Amino acid sequence: MTAPGSEPRPRDRDGAGPTGVAGDASLNVPLYPFLTAQHGDLDAVLAGVRRAAAERIDEIVALRRTVLERDADRLAACARSMAASFTAGGRLLAFANGVSATDAQELVRLFLCPRDARSEGVFRAMPAFALTTDVAAVTPPSTGVGCDSVFSRQVAALGRARDIAVGICTGGGSASLVRGFEAADRRGMLTVAITGHDGGLMAELDSVDYLFVVPSPSPQRVQEAQTTICHALWELTLREVGRG
Amino acid sequence: MGRSADELSVAEIFDRRVAPVAGVADDAEAIARACHAMALRLQRGGKLIVFGTGAASTDAAHVAAEFVHPAVAGTRPLPAISLTADVATLTGIAERSGLPEIFARQIPVVAAADDVALGISTDGHSDSVLRGLRAARAAGLLTVGLTGGDGGDLAALASVDHLLIVRSHDPQVVKEGHVTIYHILAELVQVFLEQPRVPGTEALS
Repeated sequence: MTAPGSEPRPRDRDGAGPTGVAGDASLNVPLYPFLTAQHGDLDAVLAGVRRAAAERIDEIVALRRTVLERDADRLAACARSMAASFTAGGRLLAFANGVSATDAQELVRLFLCPRDARSEGVFRAMPAFALTTDVAAVTPPSTGVGCDSVFSRQVAALGRARDIAVGICTGGGSASLVRGFEAADRRGMLTVAITGHDGGLMAELDSVDYLFVVPSPSPQRVQEAQTTICHALWELTLREVGRG
Repeated sequence: MGRSADELSVAEIFDRRVAPVAGVADDAEAIARACHAMALRLQRGGKLIVFGTGAASTDAAHVAAEFVHPAVAGTRPLPAISLTADVATLTGIAERSGLPEIFARQIPVVAAADDVALGISTDGHSDSVLRGLRAARAAGLLTVGLTGGDGGDLAALASVDHLLIVRSHDPQVVKEGHVTIYHILAELVQVFLEQPRVPGTEALS
């Protein structure tokens, strides 16, 4: 049973299957015991939900602090490498599965059409491609090529030395990401993996130049901190490009 | 002991997030009320319709996936769609009727009265999102607006039942606050639906 406000059972968000045990007796256990205590009482439920919301927010504020403490130097170093790649004519290729695909697309959108209301003015646009947006490319073809090569084939087709590969997952990672990074590494690309929990498969790859692991068992909080990592990499990279 | 210049600039970027995201906790009551109202609609068979442009279109896809594939094992999949997923429809409407109409034209066709509309705009000035929310209200939907900065035109819109604002003028920071808010909405809407009958059902029926 999960205590009110404690971590929900984690589940991989990237198509690698649940990390928690689904389909077991836990299905019949209420996730939020404060409900059964005050069954049907709207005020009690609202109070429990308010408390849970505030706890989630505390978690993400603390998690971002942890990421900053662990990764500040490597974020700056990674941004310098990315800036060097762009300056040398490189492009950014981003890939991810499931909800993380939306982060890959956001990163690409940010490089392609940056918009910023602050005084620094308009940022420079950089070439970037999301490998998750073309339905004809991301759904398995009927020629027997499996889902595992969904990114590696696109990397092989589009990627060049000096390009940047960014792959994102919240925990487990998947064969498609592993193969994507291997293909990028073979091409001589700069490779950046953004993952979570204990790093999963991504933490074991020789093909990854920069690895960022968001240490939380909650896939939602991991993803929220990863969005910040992507935004920070973008901002730092553009500063470096401007400086160079 | 001192931090390097690199560390300082990274720290500045992270520090910029702290107050606006922590400030979302001040809206815990509004978030809880939005969850409850959404649960009442979903319980009656409604679906969630999410829309936004630019970065917010990735949020729309993300929210829809959070509802259809809940993160917490054992919670029920809920019906949700993003209005930017279909590029054929999107570009078709944009070409014929103009970009500001991309959501307003879809909503009356795909929506039912028990549905929930969630419009996302980081500065509250997206014309297409504003028109989408107005069309949603006209079709009898519950309307939820997610915005940032000072709320922009979206905050002044009479067509929004539940308004949640991330107080920052940095669009990236606003987006990060939005991700936390909709993660919470998706998780905690399930709290109300876990009960045999969503409390407050009588009052609204």
